[in-house]
Amino acid sequence: MNYVVDFLTLNAKPLLQIYVLPGLAFVLVFSIVAVWFERKFLARAMLRVGPYYCGGRSGVLQLIADFLKLFMKEIIVPEDMNFLFFASMPVLIATLPALTIILIPFDANWVLWNIGGLGLPMFFAIAGIAPLIPVFAGWASNNKYSFIGAFRVAYMYISAEIPLVLCGAAVAIMAGSFNLVKIVQAQQNMWFAVPQFIGFVIFFLGVIIESERAPFDIPVAEVELVLGWRTEYSGILFGFTMMAEYVMFQAWTLLFVTLYLGGYNGPVIFGSVMLSHIIWMLVKFSVVVVLIILIRCIFPRLRLDQTLELGWKYLTPLAVLNLVFVLALKLWGVY
Amino acid sequence: MSEPTITPDIMRISWGPQHPMSGQTRILLDLDGEKIHKITADLGFTHRGMEKILENRTFLKGIIPIERMAMIDTPNIGIGYVMATEEVLGIEVPERANWIRSLVCEMSRISSHLYAFGLQVEATGFFPAVFLWTTADRVLLLDLLEELTGARFSYNFFLPGGVMKDLPEGFEDRVIEIVHYLRRRFKDYWTAMIENVLFEIRCNDVGILTPENAIRLGACGPVVRGSGQPIDVRRDEPYAAYADLDFDVITEPACDSMARTKVRFREIGESLKMMEQIANEIPGGPIRTRFPLFTRSKPGEAYSRVETARGEMGIHMFTNVGMNPYRVKINSPSLRHMYIFERLCELDRMTMADVPVVVNSLDVWYLDADR
Repeated sequence: MNYVVDFLTLNAKPLLQIYVLPGLAFVLVFSIVAVWFERKFLARAMLRVGPYYCGGRSGVLQLIADFLKLFMKEIIVPEDMNFLFFASMPVLIATLPALTIILIPFDANWVLWNIGGLGLPMFFAIAGIAPLIPVFAGWASNNKYSFIGAFRVAYMYISAEIPLVLCGAAVAIMAGSFNLVKIVQAQQNMWFAVPQFIGFVIFFLGVIIESERAPFDIPVAEVELVLGWRTEYSGILFGFTMMAEYVMFQAWTLLFVTLYLGGYNGPVIFGSVMLSHIIWMLVKFSVVVVLIILIRCIFPRLRLDQTLELGWKYLTPLAVLNLVFVLALKLWGVY
Repeated sequence: MSEPTITPDIMRISWGPQHPMSGQTRILLDLDGEKIHKITADLGFTHRGMEKILENRTFLKGIIPIERMAMIDTPNIGIGYVMATEEVLGIEVPERANWIRSLVCEMSRISSHLYAFGLQVEATGFFPAVFLWTTADRVLLLDLLEELTGARFSYNFFLPGGVMKDLPEGFEDRVIEIVHYLRRRFKDYWTAMIENVLFEIRCNDVGILTPENAIRLGACGPVVRGSGQPIDVRRDEPYAAYADLDFDVITEPACDSMARTKVRFREIGESLKMMEQIANEIPGGPIRTRFPLFTRSKPGEAYSRVETARGEMGIHMFTNVGMNPYRVKINSPSLRHMYIFERLCELDRMTMADVPVVVNSLDVWYLDADR
């Protein structure tokens, strides 16, 4: 018995972190649960019942069935195509944003890779590579719909990422550190959503733009561009592109919770500080996810020029304003 | 159609016929970045030779194919053909039959407008929730029509000289019940969709068709009324029972996609008003005058104008001595609107994302345009 306890405390923690909570299982289970929830939840808005047969009336096994179907389908590759380049892009877009999850603190001692003062810049560095991949994918597809979709991705991400980085800088200035754990600890008394309300709203919109969700799902606009940069992908490669959407969604939402909603802070429950921290983080994350999914069923899609207008004319100047406001608070010594 | 040539810096995209939103036609879009440089509508994918088919059928059998022109709006098209036949053959229609015809036409118009509204909402990229709401509400109307005519689409209910059947027992009460239900629903639609901020952003100032251009290009129906011109065949040349019914001709001054959507939406309210009036005030009497199966026509000519859900439709019928019409010429609203759609990118700045919004605001039914 002692041996088991020793093993868990000494050796199991890194394994749990890699394979279960911030790691592999969390990413995979989130994609599955989020897709299932989105199907069932939005079906109610459409006066339907959603998946009904696989796994009982709740339809929980529908995702497994879909995955198996996609996995067994033939991958159709258009003629005269560099297969390696074409096929590696969906795999990259599904895995690269998932790497950012190692930086997110679920507790001061429950971080997979506490990189210290480089946490926030590292997140933006990894997440900043991700938009390049749809551009390459659209280019590799040699299809006009994919081509237009790819350039829509490029336009949109540039307009969204600058306000996001400016908001991240404001948070780092207020917390006095780029370290994500210190940013969370600085929010023990008050969430940064309160003093930086403008930044909070900008970051929320930025999260939706970055994860290509409605009303900003412009690169994959079905009524105009079939499926945008995903048009030519079939079989499991298409599955990867769908998973990529949820991985990006998860990564940016976790950062949003960490920066603005107090991260893992919360009252102690179940008598264990670490357990309550992890639970609070997951609860806040789930609330934001449900909110963003809800937005999908009440708003139509914006046009590309309207999104760029939003990004450059409103979000970027407001993000600068937010930064100036935070600097002023620092100078007056409020924070 | 031979492919028009393009310059090297223009990209040509085929929007249809195999596309999630296009329908049964091909629209070639010449793109300059996101901007639309030129639109070429390539019609004729569903051409069935409707006018030739009608020449080879007797007057009675012709009702069946002509209703296939727009499956969503069959009575409004069938009534045009039936009225032309009546004029050629000199048949009188009893008053009660005219009122029943108006009732069926208005129910079909509501159903068609609901469908168009659902598609318009989906074209803006809205998650298809509203499309399914309108579909669920259309089912009520289709149930009612099924009870009356025996079919959910393509009723073949209008005959030269009257209608097929009389109203069933208690039908008027059920009509009024559904009118009240739909009025409640339309308040929901108005607040949820028409007043939705992003829906307004997408549809306002898109696809502007000025009143002069609307008249010049031959727009009709909700499109010309969306450009502020009160033109409606039901009021200008009343047919069926429209002379006795109270309704307003809805116009919107804004001339854009949103105005056309709003016109269609407010017209549903007028149709509901007419349905209520018909259910309350329908006169008694016979529903049909005798129309022998083997009627022979004399040489003659007739032109009937009707207001379908998509606009004014004209049917020009020539007859010789015989049991078939000698020639039938159909002037359908969707074809005109397709030409207008081609011109709209020259009249107004349009981007790739506006194409589905504008084409659905014109409410083009491609089978109607191809005939």
